[in-house]
Amino acid sequence: MLAGQLMDLRSMLHKQGVIFAYSGYVTEPVLSGVGEALKQKLTIDDADTKTLRSVFAIFVEQMQNIIRYSAEMQLAPPPPASDAGALKEIRYGILTIGREGVDYIVCAGNLVRQTDVERLRERLSRIRDMNKDELKALYKEKLRADPEEGSKGAGLGFMEIARRATQPIEFDFVEVDADYTFFALKATI
Amino acid sequence: MRDKLDIEATSRTPAVGFDFAGNHLKISGESYPEDVTEFYRPVFDALDEYLGGLGQGSCRFDFELIYLNSSSAKAVMMLMDKLEAAAANGASVDIHWLYDKEDDTMQELGEEFGEDLESAKFHLEKMSV
Repeated sequence: MLAGQLMDLRSMLHKQGVIFAYSGYVTEPVLSGVGEALKQKLTIDDADTKTLRSVFAIFVEQMQNIIRYSAEMQLAPPPPASDAGALKEIRYGILTIGREGVDYIVCAGNLVRQTDVERLRERLSRIRDMNKDELKALYKEKLRADPEEGSKGAGLGFMEIARRATQPIEFDFVEVDADYTFFALKATI
Repeated sequence: MRDKLDIEATSRTPAVGFDFAGNHLKISGESYPEDVTEFYRPVFDALDEYLGGLGQGSCRFDFELIYLNSSSAKAVMMLMDKLEAAAANGASVDIHWLYDKEDDTMQELGEEFGEDLESAKFHLEKMSV
């Protein structure tokens, strides 16, 4: 029973070409650890330098999006005063890295608030439909601009993903309840 | 004034070698820190202090970055801005952007930073390794 259930889960991932899967609360040390294993796997696969760097770069941006923006979160106990910079919450998400033919695929999913869905859809549609030159121009513009309200980084993550990907990014939303929607983003390298 | 700033590389942060006495500054490796602000604050502070005293002097800054995440790109832009400002104020500043020839993304990023420089001299070069 136990082995059967876990093996079913593993088989399901395997059938979809998934090599790495992480579902749960994500922290920066998780990113470091999975990232190291991913680099090793890509080196063993003998991926060329450009592919290795692109898969890794997209993995980092996708993981940091979950860490910073997933709407599914738990508050951590207050950190000691000596460590005021410690994260006050941990956030939940799912990330998979796999193969489709010769391509690498990095997918990430997490809950977002209903109120953020339209804004997110618009931003991603705009980025998806841009060619490399348009992406470059927008990237430069955003690099110079102040981060948007609610941003915890440079606001460049989705553009970095789109620039590093070899195909247009894909994204989708599934409504969960009145407050939350599940958001998924796929990048092909 | 301090004569150098040395920070050793970690798996997520670059090596910083600022030889202020020799007017040769360098940052190399990978940059995707857990907390970008915390990592770059002392780097910015040291650079500000050095550039503030540079006047008409000359300095060279080498960027030898293998990979940087999007929040680090913002920090690199701020380093470039500081160097450009010092050059606009009369210093002779040479910025060298070294990229791995196998990764044209880093070459393009270098070109993008270089386009914004007017007073500082920009050099785009392949890494020798």
